[in-house]
Amino acid sequence: MNGVHDMGGMHGFGPVIAERSEPVFHARWEGVVRGMVDGTAGRYFNFDEFRRVMERMPAEDYLRASYYEKWLYAIETILKEKGVVTAGELATGRPSRPPPPPARKQSPPQQTPRFNTGDRVVTRNLNPKGHTRLPRYARGKRGVIRSLRGSFMLPDANAHGRGPEWQPCYAVEFDASELWGAEARPEDRVCIDLWESYLDPEASA
Amino acid sequence: MSHDHGHQEGAHHPDAPSEIEARTLALESLLVEKGILTSEDVDRVISTYEHDIGPMIGAHLVARAWLDPGYRERLLRDAPAAVRELGYEYRADTRLVVIANQPDVHNMVVCTLCSCYPWMVLGLPPTWYKSAPYRSRAVSEPRAVLAELGLQLPDDIAITVWDSSAELRYMVLPERPDGTDGWTEKQLTAIVSRDCMIGVARPEVPALAGKH
Amino acid sequence: MAVDRTIASLDGTEALPRKNGELVFQAPWEGRAFGLAVVLNDKGAYPWNDFRTRLVERIADGSPDYYENWLHALESLLVDRGIITGDDIHRRTAEYQALERDPVF
Repeated sequence: MNGVHDMGGMHGFGPVIAERSEPVFHARWEGVVRGMVDGTAGRYFNFDEFRRVMERMPAEDYLRASYYEKWLYAIETILKEKGVVTAGELATGRPSRPPPPPARKQSPPQQTPRFNTGDRVVTRNLNPKGHTRLPRYARGKRGVIRSLRGSFMLPDANAHGRGPEWQPCYAVEFDASELWGAEARPEDRVCIDLWESYLDPEASA
Repeated sequence: MSHDHGHQEGAHHPDAPSEIEARTLALESLLVEKGILTSEDVDRVISTYEHDIGPMIGAHLVARAWLDPGYRERLLRDAPAAVRELGYEYRADTRLVVIANQPDVHNMVVCTLCSCYPWMVLGLPPTWYKSAPYRSRAVSEPRAVLAELGLQLPDDIAITVWDSSAELRYMVLPERPDGTDGWTEKQLTAIVSRDCMIGVARPEVPALAGKH
Repeated sequence: MAVDRTIASLDGTEALPRKNGELVFQAPWEGRAFGLAVVLNDKGAYPWNDFRTRLVERIADGSPDYYENWLHALESLLVDRGIITGDDIHRRTAEYQALERDPVF
């Protein structure tokens, strides 16, 4: 979705401020949230679904929330939506069912990639309302296949309980000027990992 | 951090410990005597935090790559195998890819869409990496972002930014700095910071050479 | 990783000293004090929150030295729980200071 989470190239967030010697977690509940997510991912939901839920956070809240606040929102929402936590369990604080086993790790099928290293491609102008990993700043842009990455599950499907839809994935290299205009440095590049259905061959003259 | 008890050649007695050192020694020895724990238990916890969690794995990979061209080639070709080669578990569902800096190309890593990070070799990400300023500007204004983080890159070096949008996780293999000839792997590891492996810093030789 | 989550609960003023994400020990005894507290919790000697509470109190009243506060919190907790006596600690400490025992970790 074209949400505020898709931040590449945005302006207005101010300077990058690094906290020297920062603790791993800034508040004790953050570690608990991380623990809850680590403990439930793969059993009740996959990470594409998790990211998708986080992206649905209302924009204002998303921008104001800290990293772990976003995680807490996502874990609460996803467990509720999946019926993992019931009202009774919340009231007693005790689980009433054993957790499901972790999802079995699946292996990708053999696939023949459509593109090869060095191929010139152009990204599609996809604007799904659902989850995607094609950032807005890289839609309808020309790039070159830098590496073949192998086959992975398409998040656009996986986040919505469809699939698994395996597709070859590529590291695609873009000139900075292609993405940001003539003022960008001509020698700078951005590389993004993209699924095959995000790409078309660049039309030859 | 040295175990310096003031030993000198031929001396028989170490310096007396400070009060706080003695208290710590006392506590550990009492607990061991009572069978509540062993010193090995304590060693293991310390070692986990010093060696297994945090950027130490990444730093080790880099130092070994600097010393061994064959290892460097393997690291760039198949990073998970190279991690295991040094005796670490590779505990991640995602695949690590190591990108080497060149004299004329500097690499940087970001995740504009969320905050994907090579935690399996660098530990947990710093807050700034997950922040809106970094996520939005690393791809579009890398030079300005580097300057804000303290790195002034010479003009003749190009930047490639890697946006971790899929299941790959990226780590930068920085260039070995001048002034490190003859250094041991341990000495080299000490100058490879987490920020160097994200690509927002470069390894530096401390001002007092040889003070390790 | 249970140990990781224990460490994670220390935040703000009671956060473990770190540099560039890694734990920093200025001297070997600090690492030992750290390890002792974590192992004892792992083995069920006390709930982590009991230790944490004391650590927070010590930091509020105690010295600016983080691990000095840590050690003090640990000692007082173990004494109050009857795991160790104050006398044992004093006696053993004196033995180490007098070099009656070899001060090697």
